[in-house]
Amino acid sequence: MMSKENFLMKFFKRFTTSKQAAQITSPAPPPDEIMIRLLRMVENTDDVEIGCDEVFELLDRYVELEAQGGNVADLLPFVKKHLDRCRDCHEEYDALVRVLEATSQQN
Amino acid sequence: MLKRTNDQWLKDLQAEGELRESALAELRRMILNSLPYALSKWLPTGDPRFASLIEEVAQDTLLRVLNHLNTFEGRSQFTTWTQKIAVRIALTELRRKRWENVSLEGLIESDEGPILESLMVDHQASTPEELMERADLMRRVQRILVEELTEKQRQAMIAVAIRGMPLEEVARRVGTNRNALYKLMHDARLRLKRRLAQEGLTTDDILAVFENR
Repeated sequence: MMSKENFLMKFFKRFTTSKQAAQITSPAPPPDEIMIRLLRMVENTDDVEIGCDEVFELLDRYVELEAQGGNVADLLPFVKKHLDRCRDCHEEYDALVRVLEATSQQN
Repeated sequence: MLKRTNDQWLKDLQAEGELRESALAELRRMILNSLPYALSKWLPTGDPRFASLIEEVAQDTLLRVLNHLNTFEGRSQFTTWTQKIAVRIALTELRRKRWENVSLEGLIESDEGPILESLMVDHQASTPEELMERADLMRRVQRILVEELTEKQRQAMIAVAIRGMPLEEVARRVGTNRNALYKLMHDARLRLKRRLAQEGLTTDDILAVFENR
């Protein structure tokens, strides 16, 4: 029987194209833009920040609170700030929100 | 079908036989029904291969849920907790695939060498005074970047902040995990912030020069 890893590798191979890679590896932005992006990151830095693991632990609670109209910026401020800074976590938050919205409409 | 409470989910999933089978089947259905919404920005649902992907994600999710039942603390609906795990598994695979053909080294280097070490002031649309000010600031920031950050920190900053590679992908390639990489970058940002302050520079002042504010 094919292992899960092998299956996924074969599965994805089918729709990987070098075109996708080319779209991602666009040239580096101009130097001024590089400076701006770096400084923006530095500007939005707090002495204490929680990491991706802690955010993942709280993400289900966070999206439910938000869906119930709770003020998440007040209730879970560290999570909110992390989501504003971390693209990976924000993408997962965004996907989970869409799931919850769709589910609540179905019920 | 009646909605299970969190306790019922846990009880049924830890039971033997039909109760467990039925709970697993329901969770699987729920994941398969909701992933199209979760992944709508990632992969077209009309793609015939989409069904195989979500089937694989559903299987992996159920395995992980069963292996981590004791970590569920009841802070949310059990179903939301499960969906969160499904989303993480799905996006991890999609990110890996999307960046599969991109080398980390290629992102960090430019034709002139490492990106941060070879920054040159853009000469366009600047008066001589502005140009000098920008060049001076750029040299100072570059020096700070080299003096304050480790090579790993510089690589992560370029790959994630400038080139847009997912943290998770960078972490996988350098043999760490996403959480550790976030902390490495947080440390880097803090170091830069403190050093700028020591040198009497504020991000606002520098940004004003580069953004022509």
